[in-house]
Amino acid sequence: MDIQTHKAFQTQVGIFQNPKVLGKKKTTVKRWYKEVGLGFKTPREAIEGHYIDKKCPFTSSRVSIRGRILSGVVVSVGKMERTIVIRREYLHYISKYNRYEKRHKNLSAHMSPCFIGVETGDVVTVGQCRPLSKTVRFNVLRVQKKIVKGAKSFSKF
Amino acid sequence: MGISRDSRHKRAHTGAKRAQIRKKRKFELGRQPANTKIGAKRVHTVRVRGGNIKFRALRLDTGNFAWGSESSTRKARIIKVVYNASNNELVRTNTLVKGAIVEIDAAPFRQWYEAHYAVAIGRKTKKDTADDTEDSLSKKRSNHVQRKVDARKEASKVEPALVESFATGRVLARIASRPGQSGRCDGYILEGKELEFYNRRLKARK
Repeated sequence: MDIQTHKAFQTQVGIFQNPKVLGKKKTTVKRWYKEVGLGFKTPREAIEGHYIDKKCPFTSSRVSIRGRILSGVVVSVGKMERTIVIRREYLHYISKYNRYEKRHKNLSAHMSPCFIGVETGDVVTVGQCRPLSKTVRFNVLRVQKKIVKGAKSFSKF
Repeated sequence: MGISRDSRHKRAHTGAKRAQIRKKRKFELGRQPANTKIGAKRVHTVRVRGGNIKFRALRLDTGNFAWGSESSTRKARIIKVVYNASNNELVRTNTLVKGAIVEIDAAPFRQWYEAHYAVAIGRKTKKDTADDTEDSLSKKRSNHVQRKVDARKEASKVEPALVESFATGRVLARIASRPGQSGRCDGYILEGKELEFYNRRLKARK
């Protein structure tokens, strides 16, 4: 599967990939990855994969996770390139009636290609990073699949 | 000037149109692009926020280019812009920007290589050898230097695509600095997969 689908050569910035090879050496591209901290495990796909994403928190030195860590339910996947929409629900208290009302906020988060098979309904943990686009300030760190109560789940195939 | 970098004029995430609350502020200012061309060096300085200086290159003709696998960096003449992933217009007008692929003069690197390895690069027939190369290839070397040169013999292999471009005297390089910010046009010579990628793009274009 070719990763060079763009007009410019996709590569991890700062990783020199053309050292002189004296004699027979395995031609695997050197890959850089890091741990984002706060106890989040870097996915295996991030370490072994070949994708290039300058906004991925695991394979890019340009984004760091700092500030808030939030979680929410995935509402929309695949409509925007490498970003998803998350819905965060909360209860708002009305003091006059001593009761709560449901409110929600949507949040756009960047999802690295190392997370494969994310569907709507999955619970996702996102971490705050610097602004990546007009509305995206969060990066997906961990995905928990949706728990289906019944054993049989209907899939398209 | 009128160019501002604020986001107050854009619609909110919800789609709401934002009313103008204040006038444009100086800290939101933007400036005209440099559109650095190839020519006799012309660099203007700009005083920026905090009293710092930016060097706006308007015309450049040389840059410091690195040959990564050989760890050799030389000042080379920039000949022309050959490819730009963002905008073909910038190729047509020979505008130097970061990330543009340019053709640079291979002579400084060839001279270094032949002095370092005492092996000819990119010379097809005996007729091509000029007087200066004969000097660097076959000049008298002291015993100590000759031993060093012999020890490097195995490491003198260069990939065929690069050797071909050396024969033409022009090498493809990618600009890695920002001429409109630093006033310099530095970069690195394309090698390996990257060179193959851009060569393919260029061939498809022709």
